[in-house]
Formats: sequence, structure tokens, C-alpha cells
Amino acid sequence: MLLELHHIEKRYSGVAALTDGSLAVQAGEVHLLLGENGAGKSTLMKIIAGIVGRDGGQMLWQGREVDLKSPADAAAIGISMVHQESLLAPHLTVAENLFLGREERLPFGWVRRQRMMEAANRLIAEHQFPLRAEWRVEKLTPAGKQLVEICRAILHGSSLVIFDEPTSSLSGSETAEVFRIVKTLRARNVGVIYITHRLDELQSVGDRVTILRDGKTVHSSPLAELTTDRIIQHMVGREVSTIYHRDPLPPGDELLRVEGVNQKGQLHDISLLLRAGEIVGMAGLMGAGRTELCRALFGVDPIDSGRVFVCGREVRLRSPQEAVDAGIALITEDRQITGLALRLPIAHNITLANVRRISRFGLLDGAAQSTAAADFIGRLRIRASSHRQLCGRLSGGNQQKVVIAKWLFRQARVFLFDEPTRGIDVGAKVEVFSLMHELAQSGAAILMVSSEMPELLQVADRILVMREGRITAELPGRTTQEEIMRYAALESVSEEIR
Amino acid sequence: MSEPAVAATLPAKSRRDRIVLQRLLPFLSLIVLFVALTIASPNFFTSTNLSSVVRQTAVINIMALGMTMIMITGGIDLSVGAILAMGGVVGTMAMEKGLSIPVGVLIGILTGLSCGFANGLMITQLRVQPFIVTLGTLGVFRGTTLIITNGLPVHQIPQQFSYMGEGNMLGVPFVLWILVACAVITHILLEHTRLGRYTFAIGSNREAAVYAGIPVKFHTTAVYAIGGMLTGLAGMIEASRLMTGQPTAGQGYELQAIAAVVIGGGSLQGGEGSVMGTLVGAFIMGLLSNGSDLLGVSPYLQQAIIGAVIILAVTLDEVRKRRTAAG
Repeated sequence: MLLELHHIEKRYSGVAALTDGSLAVQAGEVHLLLGENGAGKSTLMKIIAGIVGRDGGQMLWQGREVDLKSPADAAAIGISMVHQESLLAPHLTVAENLFLGREERLPFGWVRRQRMMEAANRLIAEHQFPLRAEWRVEKLTPAGKQLVEICRAILHGSSLVIFDEPTSSLSGSETAEVFRIVKTLRARNVGVIYITHRLDELQSVGDRVTILRDGKTVHSSPLAELTTDRIIQHMVGREVSTIYHRDPLPPGDELLRVEGVNQKGQLHDISLLLRAGEIVGMAGLMGAGRTELCRALFGVDPIDSGRVFVCGREVRLRSPQEAVDAGIALITEDRQITGLALRLPIAHNITLANVRRISRFGLLDGAAQSTAAADFIGRLRIRASSHRQLCGRLSGGNQQKVVIAKWLFRQARVFLFDEPTRGIDVGAKVEVFSLMHELAQSGAAILMVSSEMPELLQVADRILVMREGRITAELPGRTTQEEIMRYAALESVSEEIR
Repeated sequence: MSEPAVAATLPAKSRRDRIVLQRLLPFLSLIVLFVALTIASPNFFTSTNLSSVVRQTAVINIMALGMTMIMITGGIDLSVGAILAMGGVVGTMAMEKGLSIPVGVLIGILTGLSCGFANGLMITQLRVQPFIVTLGTLGVFRGTTLIITNGLPVHQIPQQFSYMGEGNMLGVPFVLWILVACAVITHILLEHTRLGRYTFAIGSNREAAVYAGIPVKFHTTAVYAIGGMLTGLAGMIEASRLMTGQPTAGQGYELQAIAAVVIGGGSLQGGEGSVMGTLVGAFIMGLLSNGSDLLGVSPYLQQAIIGAVIILAVTLDEVRKRRTAAG
């Protein structure tokens, strides 16, 4: 065995994150680690990578007990981690990030930039990544940053690489790329721990599975012995309907109409229509302009020309403030950066977009705030100790629910969901979908951007496809993945990373 | 969907008690300091001495209230010392020109407000970091004040003006009433109004505040304007205590105001801070300096002690935050 963990315990200020985490990984296998958000996967990985210490249990590395005090300790024995949230220095170049902390030791701390660049470019070329060593990391998309993290792990020549949801920000061809990399590592007898929420991708990469639930290891076996349904049962501890089914509602009044919207270099002649009770899907590859469209409709990056109507009235969207006033809500793809104030309590976040509603005579009504927050925590089943808990301590799925609650409290009518299920587990996904369904039923219009085509096919009444800043097709909800791909992907993939 | 809230009572009682205790630490140290000084020096717990502590601390305290709001947004204002001088000078010049005392005070306050407003506008419109903008306006405001006074203090001030800084009302210094009023208003603003809520949101995550449709620029500017207004008022108190409009007044006060906020639990990263904390922070510094005077500690050592206390206080606060933070 390369790595063995026995009965690992970890508590954060009294709250148990792990009570009995066990895991055994062999060299040359891809070990899938599954579990809902909050099950303890991330904590277990942080312990392996030396980011946090354990409170109990045993960790064996190649049969010998080890105690890792820092990520440097982990790196020294050959463990590296590809993080879900990018831990790169944004102002440095790709090459500088790759070699960060591993620069050649030369007198006076001298750095040989040219050699570093060449080495980085060699590595990038060897793996055919769509990157350049001299690019600055801040200019990269999430997918690009993910690739840099992967490069870094490979470069460090580790014997165990941990992938924490590597494909959650990637689409189509890039995901296939990650699989290829994982397989290459396996062929080189590297052990891989692979965390994912995308059950559809298990079969393409995994050898063995370990499932965590509520801080305990509940199952471990070869992947071949399990069906997807069994896996989900282990994860949630009960049976759930994996297939979310919805009957389209009769479309109501027109809520959002977009006519000939242009934005230089990003959006070209976009027209679309959303009616009350509708869920419209938006498919496309990374960089097709879907996020840009959401940002434009939310006033973040104002449009250059074209007209937008909300509830039949023309609106100008020059700032998020104007969009919110018009009744538009944006659930962004990066909730930690643009969705939530992580250092503030749940209650403050839920009421943030509509503080007026809990104010009386200019003063905040604390009781009204608590009632509203408790109400949403109950309705959306947000798992939290109380409405005073800080959002930073919630799991991804629960954070997403707080973001949705914020817009429900704002009584928005047009909801733009940008990758709403990213980094969310199966159970929470179904809940988010049924929330969207409820929203539609209550008369809202929903535009749902997603890179997960099966989800779009499940949820959307009709599907718009974007490519290179244009809407290239409008398809019925019962279309096929092949049909979507036909309109989404035609040429040029490598440049999209930029 | 209609399940009741999952309200697991996670934190154990003892743990909560410890957190409360740690949060009260600055307040407790203030009390300990107070008691220790009472025992150590017979001259400490006298009404004359305590009044003088209040009078000395009030100016920094009132400035620090504004600084608290500014620092909660994640900003900083290095120009408050210069604003204080400008407010004091312009207000006293108005009195010199024959305007009544209340009008003069109002003009001083409005001068401060304008300066703060200018800071806020530049920070939000030019998108330059607050540190840089106010480093610049520190020079601009100070220079302007020296130009309009020709570098000379303003002397022709009505006698009654001294009441503001030196008078007593109902047996306590008049400035204490001003301070309490300012503190109560600032506390209400921060904890019970939309402005306060937005102030915390902006400091906690500016992007998220923008995406929530909050007029972030407007509120940020408003916070700097309020900070300037309080500083203008502090400037008038300072002028009243000195009975001159000093163009060189308030040098280095910005650092004392920042120190008070930080000792009271504020953070340079924003999102944290409270009126109570800042008051405690300012009084800890006030008592330290007063106590050192009474005990005959050299003023050189005093500076070193206060500096060390700042580092100690922030270290303890960081330890507390790290303990309570979890993943």
C-alpha cells in the first residue's frame, strides 16, 4: 500500500468534521473519493496534504507511520494536491507559478528565467496543454488555472497526486484532457486520489471507490462492484431519485426580452425571450460567451448596443444595482468571490440584497431579519447551526442555497443561474433543481447556464446554444447531447483557455 | 421543502463562554488597567485627573469612531490629522470673522465633511487605493491649511468657545457628552441601519456587495464623508482646548486613531470592528499615557509601551479569530 489512513478524526473548534475516516491507496491506481458536501472529503484530503493536522487515527505512508506538519512535509515525501479553488499567485506567470518554491538554488537567489520558461514550455508541450509559460495566471480562466495546478503536481514528480474536483470548472474537451492526464499518471505507477461530484465520469477514470458520509468511511471496494444507484445510496444514506423529472408549465407572460445585444468582442447580436414559468437552458463550451451574457444582463459589463426589456418595460442595465432594481438576479459561478460575504452571518447574506425589507423607519428590525433567515434556512434546508453562523463555514451546496435565498428574499423575477451545480453533490443538486422548479412555478423565469449537458436535458424546457458570442441554435428540451454539441463545438478549442 | 430548520446546537456552552470571554478581553484589560492605576497612584482616581483623561482622549476617540467605519469597509484614512487641523482652523477663522460660536463649529464640521467627501470621491471614482489617496490628501489638506493661515495660528476667538473642550455639564466634561452622543449615533449607524449593513458587506466582500445590487461607491463615499465630519468636530474640540486654530494641529493623530480601532478588534482587511471596541481601544491608550505620566515614566518609554500594547492586542485578537475560525 502506498498510503493508508485508519480511523482519522478531526474536529474544528469542537465541531466534528471527521470521526472515522479510513482510506487505502495503492500505487498505480485511481482511487475515487466520493461523498456529499460536508461528508469530510476535503478535510481528509487536507490531512493527507499536510494542510491541517489530525486529532486522532493513524496515517501510514509506504507502510511507515508519518505525521505531516505542513504541505512542504507532504511534498517532500511525494504527495501533491491539485486544488479545487485555485491557489496560484495571480500576478506571476504560468512558469513562475509552476516553479514557485522549487526554483533552482543559485547564488544570491538568482533566477534563470529563460531556463524556467523553457522547462515549463517543454512540460506544457509534452502534455499538449493549451497554455504558454509566459502567460500571466490572472488572465486565465478557471479551467486554465486548473491546468496550471495539474502541471505543477506533475512537475513535482509526486508518487501520490490528489485531484479535488478537477473537472468541475471544465467542459467537454478539457475534461477528456484531464482524464488523459490521470491515466498517464496511473501508467507511471503514481497513485491518484480523485474527488468528484460528477458521477457520469466515474467509469472513465476510476479503479477503486471509497465513500464518506457524515465524517465516516462507509464503503470501500473496486468500482466494478458498484452501480451508480448503489454509490448514491451510500453517499446519501437513503434512496434518492437520481433522475429529476419535470413537466414543463404552460409559459406565462414575457419577463425578459433581449433584442440584438452586442458587446465588443464578446457578444454578437444576442436575442432571446424568457417567459414566466420557463426554465431555459444555455449550453456551450467554455468561452462561448455564456458567462459574459449573464454578466451583461446583470449590468456588470454593460452592453454596447441592443435593447433589454423586463416585464415589457425597456431597462438600462449599466450596473448590477440597476439590474437588481429591474428584478434580475444572478447566481454566479464563483459564489465565494461574487456571491457571498463569507465573513458575515447567513442572516446578513440572505437579507443583503433587500435590507429595505427588514428596515423600519430607517432602522434594521433584528427580529424580522431572524424570522426571514430562519424561514429560508428551513425552506431551502440549509444545513447550519443557526442563522448567525458565518457563511464561510458552510459547505458548497449550502452556500449555494444561501445565494438563492438572497434572491428569493429580493423577490427577483428573472433568475440567471450560471453553473448552479458546480461543486455541489448529488443530493444538493436535486434540491437545487427542485428549487428552480418551484421558482418557475411561482412565476419566475429562469436562464440556466450549464456545461453539464445531461443536467440541461433534465431541467430545461428549451435549450439555447452559444458559440463564439452568438446564439447558434434554439433546441427543444428533449433534444440530445449530440445535437447540442453540433451547434456548440465546431472549430478552435485551444484558444479558449485564454 | 417545508421541513423545519435544521438547528443543531453545535457549539457547546463552555466553548461559547470562552469565545465571549475572549471577545471581552480588551474591555477586561481596560478595567484591570483602571484598577491597577487606582492602586498604584493616589492621584489617579480623582475627578480632576479622570476629567483630564476624558478631555485628552475625546479628540482621538471621536476621530477613531469615523476611522472605525472607514476601516470596516476595508479602507483607511491617513489624512484625518490634516482634516482635524483644517476643520479647526476654518471654524475658528469663521469666528474670527464675527460669526457666532455654533455657526463656527458647524463650519468646522462641514469643512471636515467636505474633506472626507473628497477622499471618498477620489477613492471610488479614480479607483485608487484609499491608502494612496489619503496619503496624498494628507499633504494637500495640511498644505492648504498652512496656506490659508499663512502658517500662523488663529487667535481671535470668543472666550466662551473654551466651554466646548474645557467646560463641564452636569458635573462631567462637556466633551464626554459629545463623545457619548457621537458613539451612540455611530453605533446605531453601524449596527442598525442599512448604511451599517452595507459597510460590513463592502468590507467583507466588495464584489459580492456589488453583485447584490448595493450602490457600493455611494456608500463608500458616504462613510469617508462621515469620517471627515467626525474629524471636523474633533478639530473644533481641539481648537477649543487650545483656544487657537492651529494649522499644525493633529500631526500623527491618524496613527493613534488607527491604533484605537485596531486594539478594539478592527482589521486592516475590513469587515470587522465595533464602536465599543474602538472606545475601549482609545481609552486603553489614554490610560496608559495618563498612568505613565502619574507614575513618572519617561515619555520616551511611554511611546514604546503603547507601541508594544498595539502589537500585543492585535496578536491576542488574531489568536482568538484563528481559534474560532473553522473550515
